[in-house]
Amino acid sequence: MADDLMTMLRETVEDYRVIRKRHGYLHVSVPRERVMEVIVTAKSRCGKNVLQLISAVDRIERDIFQLTWILESTEDASIFMVSADYPREGCKVPTLKDMWPSAVFFERELREMFGIEFPGNPRQDEDFLLEGWEGIPPMRRDFDTLEYSMKTYGERRKREHVDPRRLIAEHTGEWDTPVPSRKEKS
Amino acid sequence: MYCNKIPDKPVDNEKIWKKLDDLARANSLWITAYGTGCGAIELRPLHTSRFDMERFGIAMRPTPRQSDVLIISGYLSVKTLKRVIRVYEQIQDPKYILALGSCTIDGGMYFDSYNTINILDRYIPVDVYVNGCMPRPEAVIDGFILLMKKIKEGKAVGWKRYKENLEYYRKNQREIIRNWDLPDYNW
Ligand code: SF4
Repeated sequence: MADDLMTMLRETVEDYRVIRKRHGYLHVSVPRERVMEVIVTAKSRCGKNVLQLISAVDRIERDIFQLTWILESTEDASIFMVSADYPREGCKVPTLKDMWPSAVFFERELREMFGIEFPGNPRQDEDFLLEGWEGIPPMRRDFDTLEYSMKTYGERRKREHVDPRRLIAEHTGEWDTPVPSRKEKS
Repeated sequence: MYCNKIPDKPVDNEKIWKKLDDLARANSLWITAYGTGCGAIELRPLHTSRFDMERFGIAMRPTPRQSDVLIISGYLSVKTLKRVIRVYEQIQDPKYILALGSCTIDGGMYFDSYNTINILDRYIPVDVYVNGCMPRPEAVIDGFILLMKKIKEGKAVGWKRYKENLEYYRKNQREIIRNWDLPDYNW
């Protein structure tokens, strides 16, 4: 039987912080130097053998990226999430590709969408979804998507307003509520 | 083996049996089974028994070589646009495009997305737009009936427009597809 996560955390890292805890679900935040250690131990000692997702949140107010690794156990479907904060500029994160080959894809995606580097991952510079993207990665919050969209894909067509009352009045000639004329609208 | 010669400009040789041809084309529209965006979900009820599009002679085909219609069923990302161009150019003439949803008309709710196009008509020639977000199967059938009407009247000429203005479309496509590596034309 796998070890209890809380016991493991108490033994490996001292300064962890529980963000949320429910039955079969635990979310902790650990210092970024210890995060790999926690993940490795959670896999080997606590049976968290599936890497579900690596996600990033751009917390631009605090000038950090919050990375979260979501692990799951196939034994009892319990979830363990580990978060760590990394600086936004020149963000470098260790890779997990040796423990879970699927991590390569999550890391490529983060590299492309946020510009987070995974120096150990040999495929990190391959295109994932955006082919040949240049400039600020699109998921960073200092990237202005509306402006980019207008510049690249052209302005939207303007909508044409059609008042159904006017249509009916034009069609039948009998509609006694005040009808806005064409001139007033434009 | 393939040929990447740019197609000749279409010549207008009115045949006597053109009307008959058009009638036959309009009543057997085969579509490439290819979906982009959310609108593809509405094609499932369309071809199963509830709405049953086969009563109009519309059927799904697995390859572009056997089909006449390509449905762009919603938002189109740049990565998908590249594949759509390949598929569209491989369809034999005459070919038609049906565009579903407000995303293809003016960007819809994805108007500020960094990766989806706003106006489909700039990249490939559209014959019929169906509006709605997303259009119900009834609306799609309505779009098909309009397409049939246009074919019978000889007005669905998007494919001719594409060949005549190939440079214009290519220019627009090249502008947004950043790693352009397509041949001159995909036969
Ligand atoms: S028009 Fe609406 S349903 Fe269609 S692709 Fe856009 S958001 Fe989705």
